[in-house]
Amino acid sequence: MKRTVIPFGPQHPVLPEPIVLDLILEDERVVDAVPTIGYIHRGLEMMVERVEYTEMGFVVERICGICSFMHGMGYCLSLETIMNVEVPDRAKWLRLIWAEISRIQSHLLWLGLGADAFGFENLFMHCWRMREEILDIFEKTTGGRVIHSVNRIGGVKRDVSDAELAAILVRLEELGKAFKKTASVFATDPSIAHRLVGVGVLSPEDALSTASVGPMARASGLATDTRLGGANLYDQIDFQPVVETAGDCLARVAVRLREVEQSIGIIRQAIDKMPKGEGLPLENRPRGNPAGEAFTRLEQPRGEVVYYVKANGTKYLERFRARTPTFANIPAMIQLVKGCELADVPNIILTIDPCISCTER
Amino acid sequence: MANPLTLPMVRRSLRNLVARPATRKYPYEIRPSFGGARGKIEFDVTTCNYCMLCMRRCPAEAIRVSREDRIWSIEHLRCIACNVCVEVCSKKSLSMSNQPRKPQTPADGVDGQRPGHEEWHLAAPDTTGAPCPDAETPAAKA
Ligand code: SF4
Ligand code: SF4
Repeated sequence: MKRTVIPFGPQHPVLPEPIVLDLILEDERVVDAVPTIGYIHRGLEMMVERVEYTEMGFVVERICGICSFMHGMGYCLSLETIMNVEVPDRAKWLRLIWAEISRIQSHLLWLGLGADAFGFENLFMHCWRMREEILDIFEKTTGGRVIHSVNRIGGVKRDVSDAELAAILVRLEELGKAFKKTASVFATDPSIAHRLVGVGVLSPEDALSTASVGPMARASGLATDTRLGGANLYDQIDFQPVVETAGDCLARVAVRLREVEQSIGIIRQAIDKMPKGEGLPLENRPRGNPAGEAFTRLEQPRGEVVYYVKANGTKYLERFRARTPTFANIPAMIQLVKGCELADVPNIILTIDPCISCTER
Repeated sequence: MANPLTLPMVRRSLRNLVARPATRKYPYEIRPSFGGARGKIEFDVTTCNYCMLCMRRCPAEAIRVSREDRIWSIEHLRCIACNVCVEVCSKKSLSMSNQPRKPQTPADGVDGQRPGHEEWHLAAPDTTGAPCPDAETPAAKA
């Protein structure tokens, strides 16, 4: 049969991010897809050669506006490993709380975009209205809505008072109640089920062989979650990874829906367990220049991210590298797109929650 | 075909038609900034001793300080509101206001300055000019 090549992206009405795919179609069916990576490459990793390591954290934060907190945290954690810095306890807990708040923020953002992709404009607005409250929490506690700039090598720059933390918890629990209602729409609405059930099924074997990470892998029944490793105080938190078994688009939505509620639970536990009081130490600033190398793994909203930092004893790092979760999920996405109908491509692409700014840096 | 009124979203949408809007009528209604929000750098020329530490530590190279000409200037369009200069200034000349900068057009430059550019000249050169005590911390730029 005659084949047609359709360029999908970088500009496409459904895409929040400039993903570039060439779809090869036979009639309405996609037989192959060729991704191109690099459309918005900004050379951020290369900047370590010109930007001092103390300032590089602000650049790393700007890799992506959605995981900005976790990017900053991963960079600081790597340098703390190299420089052997013990981060004060309260700072660690604050980082954990902010990281989970960013997970909620990211999932709400994605649920909205997902709803928009399958044509549910109203639900999109509901999700983003809730996300706005989370951004307000960020602005109050860190000073910035999207770029937080609170992570420093050795700790965090701002404290959040205990009263404020309690107020945040109250707000999050109210939000959790409102969220339950919205989540029930995702779970019960027949038009959503019509678009998502059985579309883009990734079997557990394929999820494993394509090395997919995060909600993508968990929706296919793999209980992978970097947080289970227990680093960054997660060993003191009682939680189980959210796993769904269907592996289709709806399962990937369901994983994120449940993770929002899980994150609220984790924040509640963290606020319970963190050391209380005013004026506790927050920062343990290292002296001198780093020498050595470090790997850091974190569970971002989209899955596992890996940072590699190599320092050579000067104030400029030798190498900084981030392997982002979207990059790891692209092979699985290509596999899913093959064989589906053209009309399902936007849903499949969106349910991996692509973050192309992260991927192409 | 399901009865649309049993669908949760239809009921919520109908309720939304009569509910208070979630958005504000900007610019007629402006949400006050939160206390700790990072908006815009404010400079107090009376306390600055031109130690240049803020210039050396600013990651965006937004601040220019010239000790000879006694000029302190900031390029607000370059500033990323990271708060580093406020943290390092031992004279407390810098502060972060929670108000964002107002939008400007080229015609709005204050006193003939470029929009986003602010510059202060100290009237009489201060010859005491002792550098900030932590000007030579190891992490400071050479
Ligand atoms: S660090 Fe403070 S005192 Fe020093 S030049 Fe900057 S504003 Fe002036
Ligand atoms: S806030 Fe940051 S970017 Fe802005 S002037 Fe100060 S140090 Fe420079």
